[in-house]
This record gives sequence, structure tokens and C-alpha cells, in this order.
Amino acid sequence: MSLQKDPEGFEKRILHKFLDFKDKRILEVGCGEGRLTWQYAAASSLTVGFDPDHSALRVARADARDKSRDTYFASASASHIPFSKETFDIAILAWSL
Amino acid sequence: MQHESMVHALDEIRRTLKPNGILIDLRPVEDNWSVEIVSSAGWQVSGRLSDVPAGVADDEAAFNAMREVESKGWYIKKEEEEFAFFYYWDTPSEMKEFMEAEWEDFEKLEEDVFRKTSSLWASANADARVRVRVKMLITKWIRCRSNCQFDLHVLII
Repeated sequence: MSLQKDPEGFEKRILHKFLDFKDKRILEVGCGEGRLTWQYAAASSLTVGFDPDHSALRVARADARDKSRDTYFASASASHIPFSKETFDIAILAWSL
Repeated sequence: MQHESMVHALDEIRRTLKPNGILIDLRPVEDNWSVEIVSSAGWQVSGRLSDVPAGVADDEAAFNAMREVESKGWYIKKEEEEFAFFYYWDTPSEMKEFMEAEWEDFEKLEEDVFRKTSSLWASANADARVRVRVKMLITKWIRCRSNCQFDLHVLII
């Protein structure tokens, strides 16, 4: 299939307009395959994406091996986020609310 | 996600955020998204998708959840903006196939819109593609240190 999403990069542009990712710890809720994650992860100090969808996470983790050492993907649901309190500077609800 | 689950998730996110941390809510909003033909000659609208009631209800639940957590003093709204996010396909048939598989819960491509899109695409330039203009909303929220009602200084951060 020829599907292409946001080739103009509007989403990335507005995300960086709204946030300064430099040296920040980011939590992405509902990261799926990590499409959005890679729009900003390189600028952050740590990025953790989580999602309950195991097959999507497999794709995300495969990309992570090539793209970043400081980006991690976890299997979890937003009903119980498996991280300590006050860990992150920024949380992103990625098309997930 | 149901309203109560959304509020609970927003509380969980709040727990993991540092005081004055930022929550970004980035999501599509139902708005009878337009279907367009785009080529090197320009672009034109061929019709609009129909919002599915379940998708509209999901949007309403999300807005209500954010209103609730704001009223509880967990977050305070800092900034909001709409923008367009485009999905492109080479042909109308590929667009239709995708929508039937992926979007059936929130947007519907009516037959007359598909026919008009196919007709316009067939008569357009050879490089013509089809796209859907998705209405997106991005909102920046600040996680209050304790309760925003007693924490108004975050407004100037």
C-alpha cells in the first residue's frame, strides 16, 4: 500500500514549537510503533514509550536498535504506569486519549 | 477508553511527571475530514468523510476528561493549537481499503464521495494522489505541583 503520513512534517514542526526536548526525560503514552517517538527522541536525554500492543512494540524496538541508545519501549497500560513518581519532565499522549 | 479510565490515566501520568512538568495531548478530532486530490497542478476537495457517532463520543469523552482533571486542579492549560495532518495514497481504491480496515470506528467514506474522488483523480494530472486532511489538536498542560487552584504562579512559567 502507498500510504504516507504527514510527509510535510507538520506534526514534528508543531511538537518542537510547543516543547524544548533538550536534556528532558520524556514519557510517551500509547507510542504504538514509535512513529511519533522518532520525531523528537534524538533531542531528549531519555525517552520511554509504552503501549499495550505487543506487535506494535516489536516494530518500535526493532527501530530503536538502529536509531537510539537512549530510547526504550515498554509494554504497559496507562491504567498502571510502571515508573516511579516524578520521573519525567514531559509526558506525551500520542493520539491515545 | 472510557471517561473514568481516561481520568485515572491522567492521574497516573501526573504521578510520574515532575512538579510543573508538561503534558502534551496530541490527537485527531472528528470534523468530517476533507478528501482531496493533490497533484503538481494544485489540490481540490472531492468531498468530506462522515463522522461515526462512536468517534464523536470518544472525542467528547476525552474533552470531558481533560475538563475534569483541570477542575480537580491537577493540570492547567497553557497553550492549544489546531493543525492539519495529511494521509496520502496513490489511488482512491487504496484510500478506501485503508479506511475500511483502520478507520471504521470513527470515519466513514460514503459511496458518493468515493465515486467523485475516483472521477476527479482519474481526470487529474498523472502524478495525482488522494489525501485526507485530518484535523489535529495539540494542547500543552502544566502539571500542578499540588493543586492549581493554589498554585497560580505556574501561569507565568
